[in-house]
Amino acid sequence: MKKADEVAVKKSPTLKKLIKPAVFIIIGILIAFPLFSITYYTMVRTSTPDFCASCHEIKPAVRAWRESTHVNNAVGVVVDCMDCHLPAPQNTFDFFFAKSYHGLKDVAIHFFAEEYDRERARKNAYAAFENTECQKCHRNLLNMPNSRGAMLAHRSVIYARAGYEKKCIDCHYDLVHNDKIAVMYRQYRKLPYQAKGLRVEKLGI
Amino acid sequence: MRKMPLTRLIEIFVILSMICAVPLAVSAQQTNYPKVKEYRIERSIPPEAVACIECHRATTPGLFGDWAKSRHANANISCLDCHLVQPGDTDIAKGHDKYYSRSDMPYGEGKYKVPIASIVTPKDCSRCHPDEVTQYSRSKHANTIEIMWKLDPWLNKGMNSDNERKTGCFNCHGTVIKIDDNGNIDPNTWPNAGVGRINADGSKGACTSCHTRHRFSVAEARMPEACDQCHLGPDHPQIEIYEESKHGTLYHAYKSEYNFNAAGGTWTAGVDYRAPTCAACHMSGSGKVLTSHDVTERISWETQAPLTVRPENFKPFPSKSDWQTERNKMKAICQQCHGDSWINDFYDGFDKAVEEYNEVYFKPVKKKMDELYEKGLVDKTKYFDEHIEVQYYELWHHEGRRARMGAMMMAPDYAWWHGFYEVKNRYNAFMEEADHLLKTGEKAHIWSPYPNATGNTKRPVEVFPE
Repeated sequence: MKKADEVAVKKSPTLKKLIKPAVFIIIGILIAFPLFSITYYTMVRTSTPDFCASCHEIKPAVRAWRESTHVNNAVGVVVDCMDCHLPAPQNTFDFFFAKSYHGLKDVAIHFFAEEYDRERARKNAYAAFENTECQKCHRNLLNMPNSRGAMLAHRSVIYARAGYEKKCIDCHYDLVHNDKIAVMYRQYRKLPYQAKGLRVEKLGI
Repeated sequence: MRKMPLTRLIEIFVILSMICAVPLAVSAQQTNYPKVKEYRIERSIPPEAVACIECHRATTPGLFGDWAKSRHANANISCLDCHLVQPGDTDIAKGHDKYYSRSDMPYGEGKYKVPIASIVTPKDCSRCHPDEVTQYSRSKHANTIEIMWKLDPWLNKGMNSDNERKTGCFNCHGTVIKIDDNGNIDPNTWPNAGVGRINADGSKGACTSCHTRHRFSVAEARMPEACDQCHLGPDHPQIEIYEESKHGTLYHAYKSEYNFNAAGGTWTAGVDYRAPTCAACHMSGSGKVLTSHDVTERISWETQAPLTVRPENFKPFPSKSDWQTERNKMKAICQQCHGDSWINDFYDGFDKAVEEYNEVYFKPVKKKMDELYEKGLVDKTKYFDEHIEVQYYELWHHEGRRARMGAMMMAPDYAWWHGFYEVKNRYNAFMEEADHLLKTGEKAHIWSPYPNATGNTKRPVEVFPE
């Protein structure tokens, strides 16, 4: 009997102990859910090409992108700004960090820097690009029976010899953000697509 | 009466056999005709490329046949993979468009029309061979126009004509390709497959110098014959030196046994070849040393310079490596066939030859030449227009190089008779002439007018941006 009483006595303070954290958790959820939702919503809202084009500096780039084969192709795949210009969202921390950093930097530059130099920005973008960003979508690069030259070149990138590491954009440049006279449709491309070959500045001279 | 039908019969037989012989003769003749190389389109290939192939089979069968036997054709790499350009590019061969309206030609139809460039550059090759182009682009081969303009008095003083340059100098060194707005290549700059050609897309050189069109053979570039179009003659007889050396002797004796077609990275000393060719030591992978398209990488002395210096101290184009590293690489290649004492003692002789050339011959002559200029006894405005300038030039540029290169590649006749023997004679003649001028205070006779000294002296802006 004594023993059972002791157990009963012990039980009620445990329950009492649990109430406090439960209340906090509920309050936490009530605060955090809208907060996360707002953050997430902000991220989604600020991740669209339309949002990027709200800065006048970026408008020409968005226009050129809209006319490119990364938007216009027979499979209907549209590759957004974020898909190439930011780390993959599964690398959540990198993604948020890079996005916030670029956002703040771009605002600061918009207000304080001198004129926007598109060519300089292009060079910076080339330098910042990682192959993994392209390889999110372009994954089967080694087996291309119709394009054996590309098969050879891609092997030299994916299995690069030390000292000969290359980026996708070293050969595939001016692919999206080049000014065009008409909208490019991939399915209407008359000439077979070819990479341009190594950019002269990549030749190590 | 009886004889008549017999003669008649013979007559008929002869006539009949002659008639029969005609088609026989024709068919016999046909077997002597070379057959046009077949090319059946059995793998997927764009229709525009089929048009190229079918038309060029008829119009330029030699070019087509070459390609059809190449590794490129084997891998289904067609004309378009190298020659295709994009609309708006500066090097479009606009004249080529007219062939698409020639109804007398197979595939002469507008629907096959694609913009193409006549000149395929290392940048185009880099689409599939990026590492080879990267190595090549930092070599002295690729940058020879820059080096030449930084050093050469023929160019800088305009002592030869533009055509002497086109047919002579630039044929090996390369031209600066110019294409006008109509897509026509400036005939002063073309045809050219020089190692340092400056192309319209900014890339340097021509892979076709060594891997000639349209076979693009690895085997060909491994043979010394690939190098001998340029590396010969009085000023740098590398091929003659090679031929005289034991390496060259063995090459000629055993080349039928050589496996020139070994896959890249597998060409092996003692297995695929007995004695090395130029490429085997200067470019190919060997032992642990990896293949490089930078042909000047493994050199430890600049034996072509007036004063022999280490490659990293060669002012017009200093190497990015250091000579000791590169010599060790070359020694590792020697080690595929030679023992250490052989290698070290050979280098001992080479280093001594360089030192003797520098100290005993070149430096005193240079000092004397400077003194003549300083005292105004030799005129500085032009070059080669005074006898003593030619003496000085030939001492380092002709026999001085032969002596050093002959010692380097173990060709005794070039090290001595064509080399140091001639250097000695030139040294004595130079000193006699110089001392005479210094003693008498007489000014050197100037050859004037100097023939055909009409060449442009402006450095190409493509290489030296203003």
